[in-house]
Amino acid sequence: MKLLLNLVRKDFKRNRVITTALAVFLILSAVFMAGGLRVTGIMLSSLNGLNKIAVPPEYVQMHKGEYDEQAFADFVAKQDYLEDALVVRMLNVNNAQIICNGESLEKCLMDNGFVTQNENFDYLLDQNNEIAIVQDGEIGVPVYYAEGLNLRAGDTIVLQNGDYQKEFKVATIIRDSTMNSSLSYSKRFLISANDQNEVALHMGEWEYCFEFLLAEEVAPTVLEKAYLEAGLPSNGVAVTAGIFNMINAFSYGLVALVIIVISILLITMSVLCLSYIIRATLAEENHSIGEMKAIGIPGKEIIKLYQIKYIILVLIAGVIGYLAAIPFGEFFSATVIRYCGDGSSQWMQWLFPLVGVVLLSIFVVFRCHRIIRKHLKRTVMALIRGEENIKKEGHYRLPSKGLKVGNFSMALGELKCKWKEYFVIFLIFVFSSFLILLPMNMNNTINNPVFLTYMGIGKSDVRIDIQYSDNLAQQNEAVMTYLENDPAIERYAVYQNGYVQSQNIDGEWEYLRVQNGENAVFPLEYLEGQAPQEENEMALSYLNAVDLGKKVGDSITVSYQGKERILNVCGIYQDITYGGKTAKAAIDFDSKDIEGYMIYLDLQEGIDIDSKVAQMRTILPNSKITPCNEFVYQTLSSIITNMNRVQGVAVVISLILTILITVMFLQLMMAREHSAIAVKKAIGFSTRDIRVQLGIRILVIQFVAIIAGTLLANTLGEAIFAGMLATVGVAKIKLLVEPVWAYLLCPAVQLGVVVMTIIIGTNTVRSYHIREQIME
Amino acid sequence: MINIEGISKSFKDTKVLNDVSFEIEKGDFTAVMGASGSGKSTLLYSVSGMDNISAGQVIFEGVNISELRERELSRFRLTKMGFVFQNAQMLKNLSIYDNIILPGLVAKKELPEKIRKRASELMGRMEISGIENRDIKEVSGGQLQRASICRAMINKPDILFLDEPTGALNSEATEQVLEILEELNNEGMTIMIVTHDPRVAAKAKKVLYIRDGQIAASKDLRNGSGSEFELGNWLKEVHL
Repeated sequence: MKLLLNLVRKDFKRNRVITTALAVFLILSAVFMAGGLRVTGIMLSSLNGLNKIAVPPEYVQMHKGEYDEQAFADFVAKQDYLEDALVVRMLNVNNAQIICNGESLEKCLMDNGFVTQNENFDYLLDQNNEIAIVQDGEIGVPVYYAEGLNLRAGDTIVLQNGDYQKEFKVATIIRDSTMNSSLSYSKRFLISANDQNEVALHMGEWEYCFEFLLAEEVAPTVLEKAYLEAGLPSNGVAVTAGIFNMINAFSYGLVALVIIVISILLITMSVLCLSYIIRATLAEENHSIGEMKAIGIPGKEIIKLYQIKYIILVLIAGVIGYLAAIPFGEFFSATVIRYCGDGSSQWMQWLFPLVGVVLLSIFVVFRCHRIIRKHLKRTVMALIRGEENIKKEGHYRLPSKGLKVGNFSMALGELKCKWKEYFVIFLIFVFSSFLILLPMNMNNTINNPVFLTYMGIGKSDVRIDIQYSDNLAQQNEAVMTYLENDPAIERYAVYQNGYVQSQNIDGEWEYLRVQNGENAVFPLEYLEGQAPQEENEMALSYLNAVDLGKKVGDSITVSYQGKERILNVCGIYQDITYGGKTAKAAIDFDSKDIEGYMIYLDLQEGIDIDSKVAQMRTILPNSKITPCNEFVYQTLSSIITNMNRVQGVAVVISLILTILITVMFLQLMMAREHSAIAVKKAIGFSTRDIRVQLGIRILVIQFVAIIAGTLLANTLGEAIFAGMLATVGVAKIKLLVEPVWAYLLCPAVQLGVVVMTIIIGTNTVRSYHIREQIME
Repeated sequence: MINIEGISKSFKDTKVLNDVSFEIEKGDFTAVMGASGSGKSTLLYSVSGMDNISAGQVIFEGVNISELRERELSRFRLTKMGFVFQNAQMLKNLSIYDNIILPGLVAKKELPEKIRKRASELMGRMEISGIENRDIKEVSGGQLQRASICRAMINKPDILFLDEPTGALNSEATEQVLEILEELNNEGMTIMIVTHDPRVAAKAKKVLYIRDGQIAASKDLRNGSGSEFELGNWLKEVHL
């Protein structure tokens, strides 16, 4: 053993470059493997953990105004498929009256309610994922505000209405399994029952959430239908668990999925690199293996010698990788942990990377064992002469018209013969390019204003919502009068929301939320077909189309005021509003059936949107007026911030990996081709020629790889993106590519990085002495 | 043609060449002999500019090659020198024929057709026609060595440097190579060859014997004293 260790020590000294290359890649592989699996473990634990403890409701009906408590209790008693039900009293306070650290929430898009802790289910959790408790004078702040406004425990929140002022001290940051996400337009602050009652005397409006837990395998539509038929209070939106999951998953699950995909990519890349580097480094050992065989060292001992070297390296790499995975995992999963907590399966984040590192080590030792055994089967002379390497490559032909661009022709010729050697670096470059472009394209898609139209929201300057009020018609009239008379308004369109009934796949009648209005003025992006143009046409949201089993061209029977009508499905669009289940058709709703109005408007060129919105808010105080850019920012900002972060890290990792693999590949290439380099020098090629030839070979490979990576990012990437979105409940969405970045700047940066690496990496060719190389 | 003036070469603390001076005339056939590690190969590589020297200078047709920049020296080697190594060093990704014409195409002194024609002539002369398209592993050692002489000759160099060109060949192949070298020299080609084989050195016009990095003795073989037997006796003398 001592002798073996001694030999290994000497081998490390003798083959510094090769051993360093091997060590670097082993460490990188271990870091990516352990890091990727740690992130996966954290995500799985975190995403599952929140729901497990918070127990979100499976159906929620919001309601503003009074309701009959007895009727509700009777309804609950009659439905045997209900596991539990509760009524959450939420005191909605005007945003302008909420002052956080001296600043009001006037510009905030969210509706803010003040609630007490629930009993039995739908708990609001603190940052330890325990049921949050606040005392009188204390408040629990949604994590959305803690992130956005940088609120911390100890800060002050004041509710103010005229002379009345109530001060709260932030006691905890709240995780809310139903309303965590920025895509959920309501946020809940937790206060004590005494404080809620006190504040209600001075300000706010009560809103009720009727929440239900269903028995297993009971669809929310069963409850929805029974609820509406019972005529129970429904002056507000109804949301199912599926929708909560969708918007939660979209907010932080999407980023988590992107990170997991990146981790899988990195693991694949590192295994590829490692597999290549083991093969390449052991190929360099042929001569030594031949020598050992020649002097009679048994095959088993030779295998042991090399395995010890690899075991030592892989142990060091494993420990470094496992430790480095801790900050790696923390960095990537910080946001998800902030919103969802560590979860109940924290063992995953420790066990997953351990298993990964062990598997990687077994892979390395096994691969090493197999390659050496294969080498040992050859004769001593074949090993010493390195015959196998020569046989495989073949030769290329010099151009008959001479070497006009000599270096280029030779580099291409050599590439043709050695393409198998370059296959791994090609794959690495493809993955590297893919790794940069996938998050970038996703980010661009989400950042693009068109994205909101994919989400069911028309592209306009300002949106006005009139809903949940007893005098909708008057409010709408007031808004119309204002819009008609304000010259700053370029155009507007009014949409009415109401319900009709339609038959689902099983032939049962379901309520369907329909929007009526000029759909062509502020059009959406349709996944299929187009917006309704005729009276007998109806467009369905993707989720409705799936639920009702309809596609474009099918007919759909709807019933309104007892009259049945057959409409043609003319288009399918994506929607995340109103639980993702909406439809668009020319239904002439009775004014009493109109649930709300929505108005999209564009301002004249040059009008400042923010100041106009501020002015409109004072003129139309009862309407919710939101500038659309603010809507995008407040809705998607957390996703965009996280995606930016992921994108930045992906670019850095990808470029570092590109540099490393290029350096290592160059080192191995130069080590393998030292005699060819010497021959070239001897017959008159300059050092510069040789460096250019080496560089061209890698750059050609990289160029093709970038094209392949870009194509993959646009095709496979789109499929992955669609798959991720499908996982979070959103239908297919086209990737919106920023061509300048994707097709020009990114490839240029990657090529530039490789050019720089080649310039530095091939510098050693200068010091190659022909004599030394020829004599070896 | 080449003036070697007091060249020295050291590797770390070991002086491999120590103040060596001699001259190579046009049409000379100089053989360098000596025991292993005496510095004979180092002398060849130093004279041809393939290795840096620590002191002294090599003046090639009036040009101090030690002062040339790397690119100039490469061009110099390409157009004015031909090299043949002990193990025929060829590029494994080119056929025999393409290996031969490569320096001609890189030099771009002549049209490609002319280079190809000369390559075919040289191959015919070396009696290796017919192996043009073969891989370098598909021919014998002798054929490969003759192909490397063709490559060395393709740009019609001023001098041919050979480092143990027959070291890895059998007797028959050695004989073939020697005949070619003799023939080339008779046609006016200047040759500097490193060898430990008296049979090879016997074909030369001048023999330098290197010991401990210095020219310990030299022998002019033009006066008819170039038989293998005589050379052998001389070597025995100088070796002692």
